Amino acid sequence: MSSIRSGLPVVLALVALLAAWQLGGALFGLPVYVLPLPVEIIAQGVTDWSSLGAAAATTFIETIAGFLIGSAIGALVAVVLVLAPPLEVSLLPLLIAVNSVPAVAFVPLALIWFGLGMASKVAMAALAVSFPVLLNMLAGLKRPSPEAVNLLRSFGSSWLGVLWRLRIPTATPSLVIGLRVGIGRAAIAVIVAEMLGAYNGIGQTIYQATAQVDYLTVWAAVLVASAGSLLLYGALVAVDRKLVWWR
Amino acid sequence: MSPRPSAVGRAIVRSPAFAVAALAVLWLVAPPFLHIGPRYLPPLPTVVRDGVSVWPDLLASLWRTLIETVIGFVAGAAFGVAVGVCFAYQRIVERAFFPIFVALQTVPVIAFGAIVVIWFGNTITAKVVIAFYLTFFPVAVNTLHGLHAADPRRIELLKSFGASNWQIFWKFSLPSALPTIMTGFKVGISLSLAGAIVGEWFGDTVGLGVMLLQGLYFEQVPRIWMLIVVCGALGAALYGVLVAIERRFVWWRPD
Repeated sequence: MSSIRSGLPVVLALVALLAAWQLGGALFGLPVYVLPLPVEIIAQGVTDWSSLGAAAATTFIETIAGFLIGSAIGALVAVVLVLAPPLEVSLLPLLIAVNSVPAVAFVPLALIWFGLGMASKVAMAALAVSFPVLLNMLAGLKRPSPEAVNLLRSFGSSWLGVLWRLRIPTATPSLVIGLRVGIGRAAIAVIVAEMLGAYNGIGQTIYQATAQVDYLTVWAAVLVASAGSLLLYGALVAVDRKLVWWR
Repeated sequence: MSPRPSAVGRAIVRSPAFAVAALAVLWLVAPPFLHIGPRYLPPLPTVVRDGVSVWPDLLASLWRTLIETVIGFVAGAAFGVAVGVCFAYQRIVERAFFPIFVALQTVPVIAFGAIVVIWFGNTITAKVVIAFYLTFFPVAVNTLHGLHAADPRRIELLKSFGASNWQIFWKFSLPSALPTIMTGFKVGISLSLAGAIVGEWFGDTVGLGVMLLQGLYFEQVPRIWMLIVVCGALGAALYGVLVAIERRFVWWRPD
């Protein structure tokens, strides 16, 4: 019930925005290259569905694969750094220095190393995800107070026991934030990499359509990409509710 | 009392300058020992020499990308704060539009870059608009969160002392939201830089993004590594400026 009540203004606002766009566009007779009408964009999406769908599927697989690999690496490195504090002191500043490079700058290297196929996109997504997951996981793992750690230790718990019973559960909410940031970045990294060079994918569709001055397809592809990201984000929020029920 | 030597050592190890020096040493030492080919990581001197050989172009590109990033960031940050404040004080606007905002944040905004370039052509404006758009969302969302987090009991207290809404906003709500807003700025500046670089890919003649693209076409790995270092330095410098501003003017923490 409350979800309906909180959803209503959003739906109204969305409908109002779309109606204003459609009416305004039709009234002022805006040319397609300035702003196509929503109806035209959706029609284009339906017509091109087979090619857009195939492109979206490629992008989706690349994003998910990179997301899984990147979050696994990020979380594992965070655990290693917490278990070996000297390593953390010496490595963390290096990681932060590397992290100040915008991930998009690595796209040309990924394409040269891994080719135009899926591997280069998966690598970019993994790179983009690993840093937010690593930093959030690390902050979460370090959250338990030294007293709590000492208490568990005094009851004979090993470092692994402390990690498993105390640190990882405490880190989960923070990890989930990192995952949420990461999934968005993974999608962006994949699309950006596809724009520079790919056989298939939403980014490549956008890039080619821009080059061919096919504006309706650009808009339709952006629409598909947006809908896909929203779905991923929604799925992650649902997982979060299941995983972190104690908040 | 002087700090213990181990504490001093730790502070040195944690300093950014040390991190950069350590990375440089690693870069010098690792490739010959681990037999990493120049296709993957060319030796540091080669990369530096490459940077020196294109020095005037590099400087012009750096300047261009910096300008795009900074203008887009400043405009996006100002607009983001304004919208965040509007949201915080107009509940109905917030309830209608804020979820759309959160949703739009997850959208791969870079995809809109193509459309922005269609609108504005290959001008500096197109990149500024992309940088603006990317900065705007995190700043607006953080402004709203920061203003909402202001303690309502203190606002009631100030009201009971006869403070006007304007005074409460200016003297209490905004200052208590500033640390959160600064966090939004820090996210925004790195997105702004990424947006400017990607915006240049759609066609331009000057800029770090353009040089990256040329490096890809000619498979010049040393050139690409040189540009990665320059992009990282630019990103770190912009971030550092924000941190310095924060330390100087926003030294308090949120409650």
